[in-house]
Amino acid sequence: MKKTLLAFAAALLASTASYAQDPGVTDTEIKIGDVNIMTGPASFIGKAVSVGSKIAAAEINEAGGVNGRKITVVTEDDGYIPARSFQALTKLIEVDGIFALNGTSGTANVLAMMPLIEEHNLPTVVTTAPNELVYNPVRPSVFTIGASYADAFYGQLKYIHEKMGVKDPVYGVIRQDDDFGLAIENGYDRAVKEFGAKDGLRLRFKKGTANYAAEMAQMKQAGVNVLANGGIIAGAANILGEARKLGMDLQVAGVWSEDMPPSVNLTAPAGYDYLVADYVALDGPAIDAFMEKAKKYASPEEVGAINRYTYITYAGLHALAEAMKGCGKELSRACTVEQLKKLKDFDTQGVTAPISFDNEKQLSGTALKIYQLDSKTKTFKTLQDFTQY
Amino acid sequence: MRTGNFKETAGQLVALSDSKVVWGWAAALLVLMVAAPFLIGNYQVTLMVSAMIAVIGAVGLNMLTGTTGLISLGQAGFLAVGAYTNAILMMDYGWPFWLSMPAGGVAAAIISIFVGVPSLRLKGLYLAITTLAFSFIINHIILYAEGLTHGPNGIFVSNAKLFGIDFQRGKALYYLTLGIVVITVFAALNIQRTRIGRAWMAIRDHDIAARVMGIDLVRYKLLAFVVSSFIVGIAGALISLQIRFVNIDVFALILSIEALAIIILGGLGSIAGAILGAIFLSFLPEAIRLFFGLFADPNSSFYTTYVYEIRGIAYGVVIVAILRLKPEGLIGLWRDIRKYWSNWPLAY
Amino acid sequence: MDFFLLLIATGLVSGAAYGLIAMGFALIYKSTGVVNFAQGEMVMLTAYISYSLSTTFGLSFVPLMLLTIPISMLLGLALERIFIRPMLGEPIFAIVMVTVGLAVILRGVTIMIWGPDPFNFTAGISTEVVYVGSVPFYPAQLYLIAALGVLTLAGWIFLRFTRMGIAMRAVAANETAALLVGISVKRVHATAWAFSAAIASVAGVLFAANFKLAPDLWFQGLKSFPAVILGGLDSVIGSAAAGLVIGIIENLFQGYVGQGLREISGFIVIIIVLMVRPYGLFGSKDIERV
Repeated sequence: MKKTLLAFAAALLASTASYAQDPGVTDTEIKIGDVNIMTGPASFIGKAVSVGSKIAAAEINEAGGVNGRKITVVTEDDGYIPARSFQALTKLIEVDGIFALNGTSGTANVLAMMPLIEEHNLPTVVTTAPNELVYNPVRPSVFTIGASYADAFYGQLKYIHEKMGVKDPVYGVIRQDDDFGLAIENGYDRAVKEFGAKDGLRLRFKKGTANYAAEMAQMKQAGVNVLANGGIIAGAANILGEARKLGMDLQVAGVWSEDMPPSVNLTAPAGYDYLVADYVALDGPAIDAFMEKAKKYASPEEVGAINRYTYITYAGLHALAEAMKGCGKELSRACTVEQLKKLKDFDTQGVTAPISFDNEKQLSGTALKIYQLDSKTKTFKTLQDFTQY
Repeated sequence: MRTGNFKETAGQLVALSDSKVVWGWAAALLVLMVAAPFLIGNYQVTLMVSAMIAVIGAVGLNMLTGTTGLISLGQAGFLAVGAYTNAILMMDYGWPFWLSMPAGGVAAAIISIFVGVPSLRLKGLYLAITTLAFSFIINHIILYAEGLTHGPNGIFVSNAKLFGIDFQRGKALYYLTLGIVVITVFAALNIQRTRIGRAWMAIRDHDIAARVMGIDLVRYKLLAFVVSSFIVGIAGALISLQIRFVNIDVFALILSIEALAIIILGGLGSIAGAILGAIFLSFLPEAIRLFFGLFADPNSSFYTTYVYEIRGIAYGVVIVAILRLKPEGLIGLWRDIRKYWSNWPLAY
Repeated sequence: MDFFLLLIATGLVSGAAYGLIAMGFALIYKSTGVVNFAQGEMVMLTAYISYSLSTTFGLSFVPLMLLTIPISMLLGLALERIFIRPMLGEPIFAIVMVTVGLAVILRGVTIMIWGPDPFNFTAGISTEVVYVGSVPFYPAQLYLIAALGVLTLAGWIFLRFTRMGIAMRAVAANETAALLVGISVKRVHATAWAFSAAIASVAGVLFAANFKLAPDLWFQGLKSFPAVILGGLDSVIGSAAAGLVIGIIENLFQGYVGQGLREISGFIVIIIVLMVRPYGLFGSKDIERV
């Protein structure tokens, strides 16, 4: 409390400018907030996001900051629990006084934070939860980077349909029974309707299921040979493991979480060369350049935590910084939001497709790259470059 | 110094307190709570709102588990029912929030009758797991009844306005919650003084003996479920107002275990214990964060890498430590302090 | 018919997992009257310890278990001594809540030491598909079912014929009387925790071999609760049997009715059964004297 009163008094004394200065901005510093999943089984996401923010901030600060102001990243943990996300954001806004929000945790979490974001007109870049619910309806200060799960699966199924020559294709989808799974089924639905393919079976499972034997037995009985695999990490691995046990011959489309090295380690033994679609690059010169920067700015164990979530957060913070640069000396939230709306073809050095928020949904990075896993070497091969769906 | 406590009428026997000093302190506490939002920052106000919602839920659960002895792990389900009912009535049917909140409580109470039926046959942990089962089933139904509950998308709750004040904003929400807390605590204290409360305590102590004495087990056990769930449903509705978003993920199973932890840590069977437990466990994560912020060495790389896990472990350690030192819970600690205060310098 | 057999087979596998974890619960409850909410976390922690042993020494299954089981027993003894022994004589509720606190601590410690990433843990078991009749199995799945059988038999022999086992049953029946007769209740409690940890380690290692090692393994502890309750809280053999029953029912439901009803079916079954037999299928009735 004392800190808040002092900060309040200091702010009063310091506001000699003729405009009302937004919180989180001083002449030397800009505070950007992160609400991340730092504890619990999902913390591999939050830790990666944290590293991405750190690298981006360090890189920007070394280049002189945003018009002379250095970026400070303040992180709060929400443990993937929506109620705690709300509380964490309240603390960031009220106690730490952040200017904008970069790290946003999962879908239910960012939705829980929406009322606060809207109330304070907080410039927010959502990179880890590109769910349709985030930009439908569109919120004025929220800018999303990332393709939807629906598009990701539609793209992969389209590739399989057009390029992989499956004989007598029977399609099937297995997905979680929540909003994430629903998005996957929407993409599957679009693909099946468009190709007029045989819709073999649609299955739902509860989050936390480990044993998929019954589900895969049903899939086999329906004769499915093109599978939209909505499981993640251990779930995806177990689904394919069961399929291998039943001797099923499958072309598999997967969630982008399956391009992370730990997931590949789990799933590769099943021997399926599955596809993933992602809106970030996984390899190539862009990522090599990124890793150079990473080694420079982050500690070795932080470098070990890097995965796709790092790349997108890095891109997100750069986009935010670019918009803030456009506001010059008089940095305010309203101005930042305006600049973000105008952002077009912002180059992220190849980490994602160029970012443009100048559309109705304030959505970007929807172009997807399709990769295929070589299960023996555990490496990914690019099948198709960034495409819009 | 008192020589003894002599009561002359039955009214004095069941009075909440016979001492003017106690009532004075209670009034002072109330005044402090009313004045608080003007003394502390916005973030602390939201923390207090969360704590008060926990108090309401704890008082409700205490009525069921502490007073009647029926262990329930289904709180997450009742909270979800209360929250979803409130959200659906407010957003889909346009009810005003001061109607839809009690309706949330009523919905939870009705559901609890079904959950309560097994309590007539089962005891102890068997009952607990059965209530857990119901909580799972309720969550499942909420997820699949998409036409009613918007399925996995969740519902945004807004527009809780009365006389032009938006009750979902900081201070207004605080006073709304404070009012409900006061009413709930008084209601709970009063129920305990009536024949219903005494019947519940008899059931807790030995239900077969209670039956032999003429207490209708079916009626009182189900009543315990109904009243307790009504209160918990209201707490759920308040959660939906505070967070402004309801979704199955918000009411995960872990809430039931946390609710039970609050009751046991505070002291099973006492309303003051439930209040203490709720406040303590709500502020514990903040307290741990402040503690580590002050005393831990921020330059040690071990600390910075593992700070979040360390905080989580500290939470568990504190719970274990309190129970080890005072198995009766926080209320036992309070009673010890009180006894020490009134008996010093004598030992007893 | 093939489909049906497949469902039964997978039911046996997941049922075996539930049964093993449930046996751990039942053993501790039987001897100490405490529901160990940290059982799932013990399963997880012992599995992770085994994983570290496996990657350091590169052992095949049997040597790995021979190394893991004693270490787990030591862990169980340590946990009992540090957390539960000081609470001897306190109300049961307090001890149960201590196990809840212990669960929180173990979860944090596991992620702190091994990180949040999941691991592929084969435990030295081959991953080639084998066939029993027309039904395909992974060897790890067969090991799981076999482990349940072996441990159930061992448990039955232990409780029936050994001194310590009979002492445990005596303590479960009436602690004070057992004390009077000269049974060291403290030693019985310690043994219960040690054996429960051993069973947990077998459950953990085999579960991880089948379903991957991840820091959310502890959730399986909660999912095994229906099995414990169905079998009767204080019946170790009953829990094993009930685990199989629940596993089979869940998979049959999922296979024929579908739509994510898997977990709900288990719970519905226990509600129905409990209404008929309030102490579970094999639990001993609590005789109350008024």
